[in-house]
Amino acid sequence: MKVAVLSFAHERATTYAQLLHDMPDVQLVVADPDGAPDDPARGRSTARRLGVTYMDSWDQLFALRPDAVVVTSEADRRRELVERATAVGAQVLCEHPLAADEADAEAMVRACEDAGVRLSMASPACFGPAFAAVRREIAEGEVLGGLTAVHGAYNRPYPAGTQDARAGALASNAPHLLDMVDAVLDGAPAEEVYAQSNSILGTEPGVESGALVTVRYAGGTVVSIDCSWGSADTGPTAGGPAMTFIGDRASVEFTAVPRLLGGFDSVTSSERWVTRGDDPYAVMLGEFIGGVRQGSGVGPDGVAGVRTLRITEAARASLRTGQPVELAVPQKVLP
Amino acid sequence: MRQLEIALIGAGLIARMHLEAWIGAGASVRVHSLDGRAADLADEFGAKAVDSLADALDGADAVDICSPTDTHRDIALAAIANGVAVVCEKPLAADVGEAEEIVDAAERAGVPVYPAHDIRFAPAFARLHELVDEGRLGAGTVARFTVAGYHPRPWSGHASAESGGILTDQMLHGVDIAYWLFGDVVRVHAHYQGEIAAPALEGTAAVGMAVLTHASGALSQIVSRWTPTPQPPIRVTYHVSGTGGTIVHDSEWPQEIQVSGGPAGTFGYYGESPFASEIREFAQALRGGPEPRLVSHDALAAVRITQAAARSAWTGRAVELPVKGAAA
Repeated sequence: MKVAVLSFAHERATTYAQLLHDMPDVQLVVADPDGAPDDPARGRSTARRLGVTYMDSWDQLFALRPDAVVVTSEADRRRELVERATAVGAQVLCEHPLAADEADAEAMVRACEDAGVRLSMASPACFGPAFAAVRREIAEGEVLGGLTAVHGAYNRPYPAGTQDARAGALASNAPHLLDMVDAVLDGAPAEEVYAQSNSILGTEPGVESGALVTVRYAGGTVVSIDCSWGSADTGPTAGGPAMTFIGDRASVEFTAVPRLLGGFDSVTSSERWVTRGDDPYAVMLGEFIGGVRQGSGVGPDGVAGVRTLRITEAARASLRTGQPVELAVPQKVLP
Repeated sequence: MRQLEIALIGAGLIARMHLEAWIGAGASVRVHSLDGRAADLADEFGAKAVDSLADALDGADAVDICSPTDTHRDIALAAIANGVAVVCEKPLAADVGEAEEIVDAAERAGVPVYPAHDIRFAPAFARLHELVDEGRLGAGTVARFTVAGYHPRPWSGHASAESGGILTDQMLHGVDIAYWLFGDVVRVHAHYQGEIAAPALEGTAAVGMAVLTHASGALSQIVSRWTPTPQPPIRVTYHVSGTGGTIVHDSEWPQEIQVSGGPAGTFGYYGESPFASEIREFAQALRGGPEPRLVSHDALAAVRITQAAARSAWTGRAVELPVKGAAA
């Protein structure tokens, strides 16, 4: 299977390329013709370092007719790349945000629908068997009863100098949590969004380092999430999201990357925090490639990506006004 | 040293805890209540019961108000008028106006008001504040607090959903800690779900969630729950972040004793009761010792913030609080 990683603009592109390169039966090809402003040769040098095939232009890359693409470009270039992918019938895995704005995101979803291409969002916490079990139990409702409230956090360490760092804590971390809620609520639209932020950590000038977002969904479930940058430690919400789903009968906590072993490491003079080792990105890519092979969609789809983008945009609006922002319901059904 | 004379008002669950703590702190206590239970409670602890509020206040160093919230104002004002110091179970009053009245009257009369927010004396929160106070958190950034527990009895009294329910009772603890750590609150947004109004059936579930924006820019998320069943037992967690790192706690972490395979839990051992530490600190202050860790304006701030949370949940809007007022 031919798989392409489109651009190294996002910091996780190299992780994806490495993981895909290591998969049997995957022929990986990468292109990064736009380069970085301060490093036009970024693509070629990164590809050489990873030992993967590099194409000098998008034309060359799409001429290879990849079976699947992973879109890790700048957000405002994602629409063009996804549209080109649909033209060759490639399945798409796209980083958050789906696009720079809602109009572009909707156009991308339509393009994929028209081409019969599955668009999946790169939201690793939504993949894997543990989250699937949580989702199934909540859907059945026997243990939890009706889902009334959800709270959770994703506090990964601040990734200095990256696209996510410049985008801020809200845009970078909220989608991972919101996609989980979207999956559990089976796509129920958000009705009201409230957000507050601060930049006390001083990570990036004028960009928030701390953010809390509260969302009320159609059906009444209320969700409160902390998407702040965390300290450079290994706490429970550093490696992946943790969420508590509260039903009227019981509640369930889901920890995406839980601690398995503790102890002390004399070499680094720090606490040991050892996880089971299921790399969430490897699990996600494995399911994505499996889905491409079987022709089935996995993970949050493009419509979910649009819903999540709407919420983060409403959260931005709420930050400006200091008040909750109402979203129109019913919302447009895509495409 | 002369023995402290305490007028304990009320004879319910909290009154019993306070009475035991006052006796432990070496005070002499007279108990007064309108529900006919004062004599039995007093007998049990070798205290005496008195028939009227006036008799209770006569010659007392302090009143300890453990009666229903809607009685706090009148009892506190009567004590202040007699120059008697006020210890008052949370919340200080049912609304901001009454709380302000008590605080203003006490300030004019030079009478101290010590609100009984026992959460500040629970070891996990007392140690948290010590660390923050020592500067080991740096500047506070974002904190999350959760409490989930079974309501100990059918919800008594009468309260409308508009009055806030869980947002003004259980959540006062989280609000008080957030305010203690991060200071004045300028904006509050909250939601509640489940049964809020009282009376409600035993086993009623409710969730309140609030976001507080502090004047410093720090943010607090508070989640309060009444769970529908007594098991699992009450669970308290927090995750507090600052420029100097994080401080986290989970009441499920084993402490000195943990029993498995039976309902005994900890053999009834929890260390010193927060009520005992709290009342001891108040007793020392009443004897001329250092000011306790919380005074009247802390109680007023907690009432203001929880009332703002109730209003936010009712109106669906974020509620702004004047900074100066919050610190008054």
